[in-house]
Amino acid sequence: MSAEAAKPKPKSAAKPKNGAARVKKAPEKRQEELGPLRNQLFPIGVDYFPLDEERAGFNEWYQRDYEAEFTAMAEARLSLVRLFVSWKLFEPQVGQYDADAEDRLADMLAAARAHDLKVIVTFFGDDRLAEMNDLPWAKKRDPRTDDYLIAREVALVQRIANRFRSEPSLWAWELGNEAFITGFASEDALQKWAGALRDAIREVDTVRAVLLGCDPETLVRETGVDARTAVDGFEYGVSHVTAPYRAYAAEGPLTYGPATYLDSFLLRAALRDLPVLANSIGVHSLEPSVAEEAAYVRVALYSALMNRASGAVLRRWRDLETEKREPYFRDPYEVLVGLTDVHGEPKPVLAEVRKFARVAARLDLRMLSLVPERAAVVIPAERYEPLPSLTGLYAPRSCLQSYIAAKEAHLPVGLAREGDEIGSFHALFIPSAARLTPAMWASLASFVQSGGSVVLSYGGGDADPALREVFGVEFLGDHGVRPVVSCRIAQPGLLGDLTSFDVQLDVPHYALVGAGTSTVVATDATGSPLLTLNQYGQGKAVFLAAPLERAIAQSDPWAAPDAVRSLLRTVYGSVARAAGAGPVIDCNEPSVEIALFTGEAGDVVFVLNHSSEPLTATLTTDRVVASVADIRGGAAAPVGARAFGVPLGANGAAALRLTYG
Amino acid sequence: MPRSTALLTAEELARQGAVGAAVSACYEALALDNREPRIHALLAHLMLEGDFYDQAIAAATRAIEIDPDCSAAYLALGLAYDRRGGMWDQSVLVWHELAEVVPDLVTAHVQLGEAFSAASFDDEALDSWKRALVLDPKEARATYNLAIASLKREGMALALPLFRQAGELDPSQDELFFHLLGVKDGAPGPIDVEAVKPDRASRLSVAGLALKTEDYFAAADLVRLVLDENPDDPEALALASFAYLKQESANESMACALRALTLDPELATALYCLGVVYARRTGLNRHAARVFIALAKRAGSHGLVHVLLAESLLGLQRFEAASKAYRLAVRLDPACVRARFGLAASYLTEGRHAEAQWEIRRAAYYDTKRQGLFWRLYDEYVKAGDGQ
Repeated sequence: MSAEAAKPKPKSAAKPKNGAARVKKAPEKRQEELGPLRNQLFPIGVDYFPLDEERAGFNEWYQRDYEAEFTAMAEARLSLVRLFVSWKLFEPQVGQYDADAEDRLADMLAAARAHDLKVIVTFFGDDRLAEMNDLPWAKKRDPRTDDYLIAREVALVQRIANRFRSEPSLWAWELGNEAFITGFASEDALQKWAGALRDAIREVDTVRAVLLGCDPETLVRETGVDARTAVDGFEYGVSHVTAPYRAYAAEGPLTYGPATYLDSFLLRAALRDLPVLANSIGVHSLEPSVAEEAAYVRVALYSALMNRASGAVLRRWRDLETEKREPYFRDPYEVLVGLTDVHGEPKPVLAEVRKFARVAARLDLRMLSLVPERAAVVIPAERYEPLPSLTGLYAPRSCLQSYIAAKEAHLPVGLAREGDEIGSFHALFIPSAARLTPAMWASLASFVQSGGSVVLSYGGGDADPALREVFGVEFLGDHGVRPVVSCRIAQPGLLGDLTSFDVQLDVPHYALVGAGTSTVVATDATGSPLLTLNQYGQGKAVFLAAPLERAIAQSDPWAAPDAVRSLLRTVYGSVARAAGAGPVIDCNEPSVEIALFTGEAGDVVFVLNHSSEPLTATLTTDRVVASVADIRGGAAAPVGARAFGVPLGANGAAALRLTYG
Repeated sequence: MPRSTALLTAEELARQGAVGAAVSACYEALALDNREPRIHALLAHLMLEGDFYDQAIAAATRAIEIDPDCSAAYLALGLAYDRRGGMWDQSVLVWHELAEVVPDLVTAHVQLGEAFSAASFDDEALDSWKRALVLDPKEARATYNLAIASLKREGMALALPLFRQAGELDPSQDELFFHLLGVKDGAPGPIDVEAVKPDRASRLSVAGLALKTEDYFAAADLVRLVLDENPDDPEALALASFAYLKQESANESMACALRALTLDPELATALYCLGVVYARRTGLNRHAARVFIALAKRAGSHGLVHVLLAESLLGLQRFEAASKAYRLAVRLDPACVRARFGLAASYLTEGRHAEAQWEIRRAAYYDTKRQGLFWRLYDEYVKAGDGQ
């Protein structure tokens, strides 16, 4: 029996009503030995839904032993909990508020405070079970657009915010969640609703952050409504891998391939000028085993920290106890994906969360900062084109593959959108774009002219005249679909260590180009340029004649030919290095992601294995590393070289403190 | 009701594989008549081609709402549910419906079985696959699924023969032999042995064509002529071995292959025949594995070689090595259904159920893409509509 299990249970963790949390108590060591329990600058939290049993009624809103569960959360080193206000319960009749419900919320906030948990209070969230917004008196009017109901909503949020504005445990107010916000049919309606409620809260509480609970990228994919402008009016953004978005962008195994990059891709997409919470991390179906679920959550949590999230919130505290019936018909949406099972027993995923929290707690984000991203994948504006244009459907997948290629080249990489300011970057990747706006072409020309580097892959259709100017190639036409990608190296070493190959991969287009002023780096089997490099002003412009990112995305991203993936990451890496946007720490394993936090007292490197096989990654730095030590503590291992190996388990991660000498 | 020009244009573009242009044409056709089920069905198919499942589901559902007999839309809807994943209950209903609308559609029963299996209705799944095999005893995917079911219930020892049986129903195995032989297409017409040039190269070349078109008499005559001149011709012996193999004469096939390999130990076609014969014999998996390892060194770029090796390794209960060989096969040929099912089997032995399920889904994905069933159902539906 472990030392942890041998410890007597504290009273607060004794078996509560409904068999709630029975999470093991951590050994009682001195605080100095343990180090900080939580990272206040990177809070880790969980969604705490009002009902844990399918047969429960809406009025049983949080009628359970939340004290015990908050204890368990605190012991798991969580620092955030999201609570959901039930409008139906709080305002049973127009203008009449339920004092008991408000008192229960007050008790919960006090309990959270007692356990040093911060709270996000969500208004108008929908869990598809607790009927939180199903008002009997609303007479089926839409709470998103009906002026009267919006006025009632304003009254409710002001009432709650006013009562609890001095509550220290409150961390933020949140408006809606994905399930509610997908009901909006237009940007205007969303902006009007979100603006009215945000202003209402700010009238009474100017201290707390206000969030809009939707990820703009997944929302635009789901509904066609672009929430970016609405989100810009808030203090935080959120990123959220929804089940439909995963089915669209990375349907497949969770523990390797594109699925492991999707969380950070959406996080990067949501990161614009606001800090972003990585929201509702967890699986979306019941297919993965508990071990796969734990591995996936581990990757998602580390990805969040390594890609500039401001915190992470897990999908559900406890599994929903469903009605005993066969077959199992309930949508698995937020049902059996909790950190604990229906009896409150911790699942393996909770152990992962606790381990991660321990690592995150040791990362002093006041002293350390992530190396800035000087390379970016550009999401073309055509991504927002509706059907019948298919570019809106192709573009996000191509961008995800481009992002993965950049990660495989170990580049610190961000996402930018066509039209964004690109001057802060040194290298840009524009994957498989069919059309760029004239303004973007002008911006690109200026960017390259002044020393930036660009990799552009052809996306079909006619080429813009600026292609000739910037990329130095003469566009002769689209050769159409090709079932084989052939590469013959014409200029070895010019864009990294490329090799010739022929592989089966359907490419939807192939640009026939004349070399013009550019240098042909590689051709296809017939001698038609595949890869060209043009010096334009101070910078370099690389043209790929085939939309390889889209070809990988549209074929089988889990079994894409290694040769094509290698070509992409080699070109990306080479271009970025030459532009001063290369990796700060290099690695021999493409599936390993690296993030370096630098500080005056030393650096911390995070290493994450995106494959489901164990491996040893060799990291190479610019300086001689004197020693490495696990960030959680323990003895430092002497290195005395520029390269050192890091053994990683399947989907494993390591956080190492580096000292140089 | 006659089809509009816009719909005809969309059809033509879709048949050419111009997905983007066809989608635009569909929208033009919908602008003229949005209650035409054929346009919605076609749009569903196009969205499925682009792997845009939510859009495919929406379009196919609309087509079925307008005409509940639109079988092509059922097919698109069922495939979209299956490929999207996590929608097994809906999928079961759709395949069940399609099996009612087109009872002789084997794929509907296979897919129904897979949907049942994914939803953990194992007995119903077995019934569906058995029904598919009644309709078409050579349906490889139904047999693969039965093998997987057998693996889950009874273990690898009893499942392996079923995997091999499915593999032999799968035409890809013969394709490997002809790939090794360098024969792409079969003979364009009947082969006249007398008309073949009387030299070794021509006789062997035409014998290869004859084998490809399953004209074993002509092939035997030509091989015999070569062996009459030189009984120690390894290539002719390898052809003879293959001909015996196809006629279930395992001992003769083994003898010819062994003789060929005595003369030329690296002859890939002979290695193939010997390996396949060994693999069919109970207790000779170790021998088969050695032969396939040799073949993998000679023709390692072909995915099926690694599948054959993996199957032998499964027989030796060397699951990890089998899994590696299957993964290599999938990397070389993602569309190899046999490798996908084999990989699923090896994942199941490791307890990796979600990944196994994924491989089975990918096998279905490639198999249904290859079949091109949509156009058969669509054309039948259009014909029935035009006849009314």
